[in-house]
Amino acid sequence: MATITRPLPGSLPVTVPHPRLNEYLRWSVDHKIIGVQYMVTALFFFLFGGTLAMLIRWELLTPTLDLMADGSAYNSLFTMHATFMIFLWIIPVLAGFGNFLVPLMLGAKDMAFPWLNAFAFWLIPPAGVLLILGYFAGQAEAGWTSYPPLSTLFSGDGQTLWALAIHLLGLSSILGAINFIVTVKNMRPEGMGYFQMPLFVWAIVATSIIIVMATPFLTGGLTLLLLDRVAGTQFFNPAGGGDVLLWQNVFWFYSHPAVYIMVLPAFGIISEVLSVHSRKPIFGYRAIALSSMAIALVGFTVWAHHMFTSLTPELRIPFMITSMIIAVPTGIKVFSWLGTIWGGKIRFTSAMLFALGFLSMFVIGGISGVMLAAVPFDIHTHDTYFVVSHLHFVLYGGSVFGIYAGFYHWYPKITGRLMNERAGKIHFFLTYVGFFFTFFPQHIVGMLGMPRRVAVYAPEFQSWNVIISIAAFVLGISTFVFLVNAVMSLSRGRISGANPWRALTLEWATTSPPPAHNFIGDPVPFKNPYGYGTQASHAYLEAIDQRYGVSAMPNTDVTTPAPTSKLTSGD
Amino acid sequence: MSNQRIAEQSLSRAERQALANKRTAISVFQISWIMVFVCLIVVNLQIRGNFPTWPPAGVDGLERILPTVATAGLLASVFFAQRGLNAIRKEDRPVFLSSWRAAIGLGAAFVLIMAFEWVSVQFSGQFSDIFRVMIAYHAIHALVIGYMMVNVLNKGRAGAYNAVDNWGVEGAAKLWYFVVVAWILFYVVLYII
Repeated sequence: MATITRPLPGSLPVTVPHPRLNEYLRWSVDHKIIGVQYMVTALFFFLFGGTLAMLIRWELLTPTLDLMADGSAYNSLFTMHATFMIFLWIIPVLAGFGNFLVPLMLGAKDMAFPWLNAFAFWLIPPAGVLLILGYFAGQAEAGWTSYPPLSTLFSGDGQTLWALAIHLLGLSSILGAINFIVTVKNMRPEGMGYFQMPLFVWAIVATSIIIVMATPFLTGGLTLLLLDRVAGTQFFNPAGGGDVLLWQNVFWFYSHPAVYIMVLPAFGIISEVLSVHSRKPIFGYRAIALSSMAIALVGFTVWAHHMFTSLTPELRIPFMITSMIIAVPTGIKVFSWLGTIWGGKIRFTSAMLFALGFLSMFVIGGISGVMLAAVPFDIHTHDTYFVVSHLHFVLYGGSVFGIYAGFYHWYPKITGRLMNERAGKIHFFLTYVGFFFTFFPQHIVGMLGMPRRVAVYAPEFQSWNVIISIAAFVLGISTFVFLVNAVMSLSRGRISGANPWRALTLEWATTSPPPAHNFIGDPVPFKNPYGYGTQASHAYLEAIDQRYGVSAMPNTDVTTPAPTSKLTSGD
Repeated sequence: MSNQRIAEQSLSRAERQALANKRTAISVFQISWIMVFVCLIVVNLQIRGNFPTWPPAGVDGLERILPTVATAGLLASVFFAQRGLNAIRKEDRPVFLSSWRAAIGLGAAFVLIMAFEWVSVQFSGQFSDIFRVMIAYHAIHALVIGYMMVNVLNKGRAGAYNAVDNWGVEGAAKLWYFVVVAWILFYVVLYII
């Protein structure tokens, strides 16, 4: 394995032109452009879904129906909130990170199929349009879970548009996943075996395996749903010999693995951020890598825990067991992450703060998940706010915190500039506090008996709901702190240079932003992507500085030279 | 090392990479997309489980002779498609073209027979609905991939493929095998168990 130990002959600090704005608005086969397209499009839908969330919380300030016209309008509100957040925010934004980073981390010029990559992205905007058009046709109102008979017999034509849109999004997902698997399998550089890959790449591979195996099931189910709605079939109508449980089984066989699609890439982001920002090698690299695969595999055995109250009683126990087993590989990751930062030289950058926030919030979500895995508990809390709390702790406290950590960490690589750290910290504290007080009390109201998906609730829950709604508004405002920072930093942020975090993975061994084919010459991966604190890693980082110019250090006003004399720990 | 692999040594590194990528992609696609067919099989089995007998009381069972003949023809088409692929890898164009035509012909016969079955099944609620959905879903794939095979035939007649550059033939053949495997799964569920 070659290691850079001195500057390459004839090298000078390199600058490359930034892509123009119009390149991001049109068809491009460059994975970096496509990655940004995914991320920005997803952010737009995040705002849309977030607005719907604010309307939900506004409605729930009082126990009566006052904002929405009727229960159907409220049903549409939470249906579209969840649909946008799951299918148009979390899944695409993480695909965007994967698109931007995987070829760079592997030292490749692009993904295996650049045209297919672009095609997969451009399925997303029309899907979003179809969903929004639903508002003009009687919006879908059966929840993102689309249970019949509401979805087949009683929902407006928007439900048909919903099913078509999800079809498009599923296809986009599958095509992207095929691309990732082929790229990782065939396009790693010489000397980078599977166990020398960054953990983010492992996470993307595990996610892609889930996507290719599970999403086709959703395709099958949606096809039958559409046929029931438009072709007169009765697959899900008991009056016609059909079975509502059939939908539940088919749907959840996809949708439980889907939650791992939504969180595994965030796990990968956390592995990268924690190691870099604590200047320590990852603790338990193989354990984290293989636990991602274990989650992908075991994730297919738990789906019926979403159906404990409708399932044949004999089947509850096996699914309870598998649902508890799946906590084990995640627990391995959590302890490995803790082992990573323990004794590290922690830099409390915005990225690191969100990663630490992830650790705390995701663990709470994971614990509430194990509680829900217990059948006796779930029988009482099924369809209450306890479940809403759990899912938001893992999806917002987990995935979204991870996404924010990823944005702060890789923004310099994508744009060539650093985000403002002070604004980042304000964003973090507002988000952390707003998030906690929005969703933690929902455990309590859930256990007290408040059902989910209702606009009218018993008056004794009102004081809790007021606290939750106010905290939710704070959480909503915190999003704008991030957006303003991200936009302003495009022009006002300090020039970052190639490697402001002094990280060892290959995406940092090129300019920020990277040039058209990612690297100038053949990239040379460092033998251990997390091998901080050694003479060799210091020499590697020095060589990057020599080649591309010294990078800006965060929290300082001017670029500072990299240390040349004594090694400091974690250098 | 097979003759095909030896021939591919003459390709550039980028061309060998592209070929490896296409081969991996087709394999991943096949493993992924078979899951839709598995989903429909699961749906079929779950629907059946809700009835005391299958076919339900008062419903005639499916006719088996023609579909079995069609299935035999489909399996034979695999033989001819593979023969065609092997032939073009040895640049034996006449055998490639004749085998490929035979594969397409047998595939077309299969589609026509199953279309006849699809049209003639009596409406009987869930029994006929799930039958029709499964047959139609498979037929869409057979038609699309059959069209690809016709394109390959036309290009082959124009001299497009040779011992080294025959990915179009290989890709179409692999997709056709996928159609056949999916049908075998459906045939077992619809006509045997």
